[in-house]
Amino acid sequence: MATSASKIGTLNAGRFVALALLAFVSFMLLQRNPQIGVFWLFGLAFGFVLQRGRFCFASAFRDLFLLQDGRVMKGILGGLLVATFGFSLVMYNLLPALGMGRIPFNAGVYPVGAHLVLAGLLFGLGMVVAGGCVSGTLYRIGEGYVASLVSLAGIIVGLAFVHHTWNWWWENYISFQPLVWLPNSLGWAGSILATGVAILAVFLLVLWWESKGGGIARVSRADREVMTFKERIDSLRRSVFVWAWPAITAGLVLGVLNFSLYLFERPWGLIGEISRWSEGFLSLVRLPAPVHVGGAGPCSIGGSESISPLTWGLMINVGMIGGSFIAALLAGEFRLRVARQGRRYLQSFGGGTIMGYGAGLAGGCNIGAFFSSVPSLALSGWVFALSLAVGAFLGVQVIKRIS
Amino acid sequence: MRVDVRGEICPYPMLKAVEAMKKAKPSEVIEVLTDHAPALETIPTQASRLGFSVKIGETKGGEWRITLSRASPS
Repeated sequence: MATSASKIGTLNAGRFVALALLAFVSFMLLQRNPQIGVFWLFGLAFGFVLQRGRFCFASAFRDLFLLQDGRVMKGILGGLLVATFGFSLVMYNLLPALGMGRIPFNAGVYPVGAHLVLAGLLFGLGMVVAGGCVSGTLYRIGEGYVASLVSLAGIIVGLAFVHHTWNWWWENYISFQPLVWLPNSLGWAGSILATGVAILAVFLLVLWWESKGGGIARVSRADREVMTFKERIDSLRRSVFVWAWPAITAGLVLGVLNFSLYLFERPWGLIGEISRWSEGFLSLVRLPAPVHVGGAGPCSIGGSESISPLTWGLMINVGMIGGSFIAALLAGEFRLRVARQGRRYLQSFGGGTIMGYGAGLAGGCNIGAFFSSVPSLALSGWVFALSLAVGAFLGVQVIKRIS
Repeated sequence: MRVDVRGEICPYPMLKAVEAMKKAKPSEVIEVLTDHAPALETIPTQASRLGFSVKIGETKGGEWRITLSRASPS
């Protein structure tokens, strides 16, 4: 055991070739199309951090109910807090003068209504049954989980159902629902303060809930011996590349990355691109999506409107799989993980489909409609998150019965 | 007791480890085999709540053995 452990986290020939290949692809992309290349690098970074922090949004909501453990949820809250300050700076630059109900370009503000509640319930239920949210599905594909590929197929099918029902939703309901951007009613300081206080309140609630469940064990890996320079470098390498990051570290880094991406162009979002894949799937099975009313149709906010095959969304999504793959490879954790029971694939597909429908209806997934929406000072992020929590609670009841 | 949860999807590795701890006889040691890294973050908390101490060892790349034994009464 000791011998294999010493190899973990170091480079061998196979890993070196894989990394060199990814570095080459990144270089070529940046050289030929810097804008697309930057999105690719962001994708890699998101995937890397998600894998290192074991940062799954589905487990963040689920484990509150299942294990009374708020590890990832506290990380998410940290990320939301830094992103709220960062997003506010970016949005202020885009729209210094409030008024006339205008909303900053690319901000994650979604219509608020009963459809958003239904979307959150479906998404929360689906992600818990599938065993991963949309970002979790992508990063686990990079770690080698076959079931996550099946979840992704489910998400694509769920979005296909949205494509065929979107016009009904839009014409009968969604088009009448308000886009609530808090600064329009509370002003800048008021909405930043309200968002910050709400995040802190939820944080305290999670701490209280964990303590009520029996507290949290601290796993300490810190060596208390005196270390030489070489040992300290080695320990640093392991902290970054081998051992899991504390969820709060991962959350803060994701928050900073998210507002850096908005500074560059737009907030982090995944589902617009997957919605495009779903349209491709529909043409393939000769059930093409109808022409959508209401802008570009479902997920137009996070969508990839470019007709070039190299869209920003493709770079983010595939980059995330690549970044997680690199992280898993460096940690010595990458392996093809075939599900032990065949029926888990059915579970992943079914959960994925429900989650996909919810994401399409909301206009975003756990990233776009939540992790990027709360910092956009939008009410939609909170409504979606609350509904997600209720959906996750329902999902926990389901998975307990199908162990 | 040996609990092999390799190849299980999230959250079953955690759930099955918790189930085993609840069913374990007083002096029984539980060995959980898993390839699911997030379990390493969640099982220690569940173990300490149920009065178990935890030892984690890597068996090979991406696979771990978690040894759970009742913490001796102090």
